Amino acid sequence: MDTFLQVTAYGLLQGGLLALVAVGFSLVWGIMNIVNLSHGAFVILGAYIAWEMQAWTGLDPFLGMFVSAAVLFCLGYVIQRYLINLIVNGPVFITLLLTFGINMALIQAMNLVFTADFRSIQTSYGSNSFGIGEVRIPLVRLLAFLLAIVITLLLVAFVKRTRTGISIMATGMDRGAARLMGIKARHVYALTFAISAALAGMAGTMIATIETFDPSKAGKFTLMAFVVAVLGGLGNMYGALVGGLLIGLVQSWAGQYLSGTWVNAIAFLVLIIVLIFRPNGLVGKAFYAARVEI
Amino acid sequence: MPTKASFSIASKSSRTLVASVFGVIALAMALALRSQLPGGELRAVSTIFMFIALSQAWNIIGGFTGYASFGQVVFFGMGGYFAAVVMLKYHFSFWLALPLSGCFAALFAILIGQPLLKLKGHYFAIATLGVAEGMREVVINIADLTGGGAGISVPIAGKFAKTEYLGDGGFYLLFLALAIFSLVIGTVVSRNKFGYGLRAIHQNEDAAAAVGINTVRSKVMAYALSAFMTGIVGASYVFQQVTIFPERLFDVEITVLMIMMVVIGGSGTVIGPLLGALSLQFVSEYLREHFTNVHTFILAGIIILAVILIPQGAVNYLREGIRTKDFSLLTNIRRYRL
Repeated sequence: MDTFLQVTAYGLLQGGLLALVAVGFSLVWGIMNIVNLSHGAFVILGAYIAWEMQAWTGLDPFLGMFVSAAVLFCLGYVIQRYLINLIVNGPVFITLLLTFGINMALIQAMNLVFTADFRSIQTSYGSNSFGIGEVRIPLVRLLAFLLAIVITLLLVAFVKRTRTGISIMATGMDRGAARLMGIKARHVYALTFAISAALAGMAGTMIATIETFDPSKAGKFTLMAFVVAVLGGLGNMYGALVGGLLIGLVQSWAGQYLSGTWVNAIAFLVLIIVLIFRPNGLVGKAFYAARVEI
Repeated sequence: MPTKASFSIASKSSRTLVASVFGVIALAMALALRSQLPGGELRAVSTIFMFIALSQAWNIIGGFTGYASFGQVVFFGMGGYFAAVVMLKYHFSFWLALPLSGCFAALFAILIGQPLLKLKGHYFAIATLGVAEGMREVVINIADLTGGGAGISVPIAGKFAKTEYLGDGGFYLLFLALAIFSLVIGTVVSRNKFGYGLRAIHQNEDAAAAVGINTVRSKVMAYALSAFMTGIVGASYVFQQVTIFPERLFDVEITVLMIMMVVIGGSGTVIGPLLGALSLQFVSEYLREHFTNVHTFILAGIIILAVILIPQGAVNYLREGIRTKDFSLLTNIRRYRL
């Protein structure tokens, strides 16, 4: 029973991290109907920026993540405004190819600039943990988990309560009507993508404090973001959180009770089953299904 | 526009004639090239042939039918592993394993196609990607059969090797044959009723069903045909490489290359993927040789530019340009711009 509780706790903590990785991905998909294959590269880039900040100025990663977020915000805005906006109305494989091309370029750039060796961010409190009963909770993972929840809540508040947030939602629901109401769709799309990239940067920083990273891990994070976003469903801001926690638990349990790397296969099995039987996700709704594209 | 229709019908037989003349010349050149090239370049040209076959295969499901299979590499991997396992464990000859591996891939496509082809757009793309990633994990985990992450080797010498290793020249011919086979299938599909049905599904699936096309059966058949073609290429690739690993055989980059070749050349045409495969693979090899450090970077740049500037592909761009007398790239960008 203790093992089970420990594994469950780990799964939930890991799930929070996955949710943080996926929340921006899910936002971009839900609002713009774009599957961003370079999301994992943003995550890794965020990790590198925070690592460099710590190496050069000794900045704590929990502050350094704001630098990562700021840099990626700008990068994301430029990429959406001047590249992806040009093919937003194209067929599926065009947008997939473009974001894959951006992914390739980013990964290769990181390989050249940062070299491909494994890195991780070391902190003085990195190995601290505390116990609740028999269950050990590592401090950094708990902080990352709480951060994921806070950021999701902030994102929901932003989207529901601010003028900019409402214009993002409006553009996602019906771009034609939104443009007729005077919303600058190009700017809103770029902004949405920038927010998504910034969140990926924060997630990357969190990941760097917990495990090692290198550019080749980008694909893994993109795929995880897929699974979580699909599982949670689009069009609901809490979707990524629900999906992330669920995948975290499933992976954690599968890792404990199954041998080998079946745990990865299970994640994709869950993805396919959800896609077939409930394509809108567990808590999502197809809110852009009938939208008008102008 | 009746004049246009009669024009295209009249030119069809002459187009076929021109195409077959060019085809024969190209084939003669390819055969003559075989004795002229050194081993390394023979392998490079074989890879071009391989991608011609793969891009034609993707074109059937992605180009004609309009279903963006982003996990097409799963059939490459499944066909390849099937061939490796039957050759190693059951001592099949390669020539028997080759068609069987295609059938195995096609069966798998029929199995997963039934539920997956109900999905549309991104959902289909991601589901197929999930299948490819999932199958790679499965192959890694059934190590008793597949050798797992440590890889598996096809017997090429000793008493269990039923088929002798073909060598660079032999594989050159094999991949050339596969490329020709795929071009023939592509041409046939492009011109018969089945192919027109697929195009109709691409343009409007409900309307296609309304005019009497069995859309479910057509889609699954297209998927299976595409899987068969990909599977036999996978089997040949495995025999050429001798030792194979799941990471390579289920590499998502193979899928992306296939799609890229089809898209650059022009999806939904036969000549487009052929040109795309030739040019992209040639450029890729050239960059690898001359700009080793940054060749992925340049390739990524080419992909990004090509997708933005000519999203409909070179062949379709030229066709539309000739018809409308407008070759402006700016018009082209405006098409999909926000």
